[in-house]
Amino acid sequence: MINLQPYSSPSYFIFLLLGLLPIIIGLYNGKRLKIYETIFSLVFLVLTFGGDHWEQGVTLIGYIIYQLVLTMVYANYRHKTGKANKTSAFVIAVVLAIIPLAIVKATPAFSHGLKIGFLGISYLTFKTVQVIMEMRDGTIKNLDWKMYLHFLLFFPTISSGPIDRYRRFKDDYENLPDRDAYINDLSKAVHYLFQGFLYKYILGYIFGTLLLPQVAHLAMQQRSAFSGLGLSWPLLGYMYVYSMYLFFDFAGYSVFAIGISYFMGIRTPQNFNRPFQAHNIKDFWNRWHMTLSFWFRDFIFMRFTFWIMKKRWIKNRVRISQLAYLVNFLVMGFWHGLTWYYIVYGLFHAAAIIINDIWLRFKKKHQDKIPSNKFTEYLSIFITFNVICFSFLIFSGFLNKLWFR
Amino acid sequence: MKNGKKLWQIFGPVLIAIVAALAIFLIPWQGLTPSKHAVEKAAVSMSTNVYRGEKIKDTAIKENYVPFIGSSELSRIDPLHPSVLARKYDRNYQTLLLGGPGSQSLNHFFMLQEMKSEIRNKKVVFIISPQWFTKGGQRPDAFGYYYSPLQAIDWILSANDTLANRYAARRLLQMPSGQASTTINTALEKIAAGEKLSGFERFWLKRRQQVLRNEDVFFSSFHLDNNLQRIINAGKKLPATDNQQQLYTLATKLGQQETSNNEFGIKNSFYNQRLRGKAVKNLKNSQGWIDYRKSPEYADFQLVLQQLAAEHVDVQFVLPPINQKWINYTGLSLPMWRQTTAKIKQQLTSQGFNRIIDLSEDGDQSYYMEDTIHLGWRGWLRMDESVKPFLTKHQTTPTYKINNYYFTKAWQQSLK
Repeated sequence: MINLQPYSSPSYFIFLLLGLLPIIIGLYNGKRLKIYETIFSLVFLVLTFGGDHWEQGVTLIGYIIYQLVLTMVYANYRHKTGKANKTSAFVIAVVLAIIPLAIVKATPAFSHGLKIGFLGISYLTFKTVQVIMEMRDGTIKNLDWKMYLHFLLFFPTISSGPIDRYRRFKDDYENLPDRDAYINDLSKAVHYLFQGFLYKYILGYIFGTLLLPQVAHLAMQQRSAFSGLGLSWPLLGYMYVYSMYLFFDFAGYSVFAIGISYFMGIRTPQNFNRPFQAHNIKDFWNRWHMTLSFWFRDFIFMRFTFWIMKKRWIKNRVRISQLAYLVNFLVMGFWHGLTWYYIVYGLFHAAAIIINDIWLRFKKKHQDKIPSNKFTEYLSIFITFNVICFSFLIFSGFLNKLWFR
Repeated sequence: MKNGKKLWQIFGPVLIAIVAALAIFLIPWQGLTPSKHAVEKAAVSMSTNVYRGEKIKDTAIKENYVPFIGSSELSRIDPLHPSVLARKYDRNYQTLLLGGPGSQSLNHFFMLQEMKSEIRNKKVVFIISPQWFTKGGQRPDAFGYYYSPLQAIDWILSANDTLANRYAARRLLQMPSGQASTTINTALEKIAAGEKLSGFERFWLKRRQQVLRNEDVFFSSFHLDNNLQRIINAGKKLPATDNQQQLYTLATKLGQQETSNNEFGIKNSFYNQRLRGKAVKNLKNSQGWIDYRKSPEYADFQLVLQQLAAEHVDVQFVLPPINQKWINYTGLSLPMWRQTTAKIKQQLTSQGFNRIIDLSEDGDQSYYMEDTIHLGWRGWLRMDESVKPFLTKHQTTPTYKINNYYFTKAWQQSLK
């Protein structure tokens, strides 16, 4: 049985574009071929989660049924009984939605070889939690289970995002672009695909496949430097090469997903916006893996802040936001996985953004004394870039290999 | 602007790009041959794109290059290295170095696939590393580094249903490399089960082969490590004539000069980089547990042997020693070492591979080893003493008798 990993080979794109052709012709003529699109999506899901990845497929089906039932029960509770909106019901629903992901993330830490989970489970969990939260807020009123399934299983973004929002997706799905707008979408779609080829297959390949093993090898040879800390020029090289690889590989992947979405008349949101040109850490998180950081902003940071304010546990607004940053990035660290380097990565970014916040407030107060010109702008970009690259060195897990194995 | 025109502006360039890409990769470009200089450079580069490719190797062998197949020792380039000697004295053969750190029998088997017709009835020098023969055998990551889908396809398309081919298919399936491509994976499963490939599978593999061949022709002469200059420079230290006595004097002198900072007779730079300080202390008495006598590598090695026999290749094997002072320091078992070399030699001689330069007992000779396990100065010269006549003089044709027993688990684990 064939198994095709998303966006991994030229043949994947050939099959994909051939399959998309009827959908494109349909949309061009102002029609969404719903049945064909559903079948086509299912075929690609089977290709991704079938073959020798069939265990993943089985888990995916189980997971989807579980989440669908859970979400529909909560939707029923919210709307059938009128104004019912107990916090306890909401908390239970969120916890139940997160449990499968928590189990999957926790198992590698405790047992090896147990194969549960599937490609993209975290991204699906973001979507389900988001829907539950919006139902609590009342911003999602009528949840249509078929639309919800479409949203969850939208195959271009199923494995690695970008993370779309239900209401936005539903809007695009139901309201077709007119011909001029669709032609414009097609042109963007082609542009994104080729941007993806450049990012993932050329730049990502140069950094990830050609350079990374070499700098890794050189850095490992110097592991005894500085009484075992292994600090060396190659390690610095590894830091930059890995950062470039991470960006081009992931950003390439994201634009592929966005490009394919555009072909299907869905304008999946952007995930990256020149992150290495960020002027500070806060700016960076508005440019890097945007759909994830906005998700965290809306559903962790903001919620936590409001909750603390409502309970009046802390009065000082600055302290609240600092604590919220800490919680936000710590959760993000744990979400990446239960290893010390993901958690340290989270703590590092929390510290960085809190320091950045203090600096920004200091700068505002002393505006007249602190110069602001082209030079300081480039300096801030340079400092931010290096702080970020260092955080990716932690994230890469290479230090773990360098120090402990 | 009309919509049709807009669509053409969007998709036209894509269509043209697809057609151009297909044209470039599916039309056979095998007529392009690498330049003489490119071959010269590639033959000693030990670059993986040469090892994994076809064209450069084949062109080299059709000239007067002789494959020197081995692993990490090939990269120990000092003035007495085979490539330096062959080039400096303009011998009637030049060296085509095939292998690098981590390349073992299984890689070499696939590497031989594409040059079967080129090496038929010719000579090859093969340096065996007993260090390959570990309990786990070939490490999958190292195999992946030298693995070439092109060579795998060459082999798949020519594989008859033999015990050796079934074994090779099973081995490749155990490696992540063999699972990277669905088409190759399916083909391997069929070969391992003794089934025939379908017409469609052969068609698909042939197109893939064509694309990979073109990639090889276009790209494999890029990115070559420039060892040629090192070899030319090293040659400048050699005496003007190919005189053994003078060469030995030089080898002794160089060895003396370059092993002054440690008690093991290891090259200074290697000692500084890899051993100095804590590293060397940690290695004291650390290798008593090592055992090369039982290993899947014996069967992988048999794969190479049966392939060389099938092409009637005249092979000169070399069994290098281990630095005796290092053995004493690390506590490697000497009886184990002797049984290992005896087992390898038994596998060779019982099948008619009688040309063996056995240096395994020479680890105590001074300036023989450049470091712990790799030949250097006088060691290279001792090897040259036998390799030079083998390659420059006419040899009687050997007759091989392949015995499939050497593929079995029983032999891999045998202590006798």
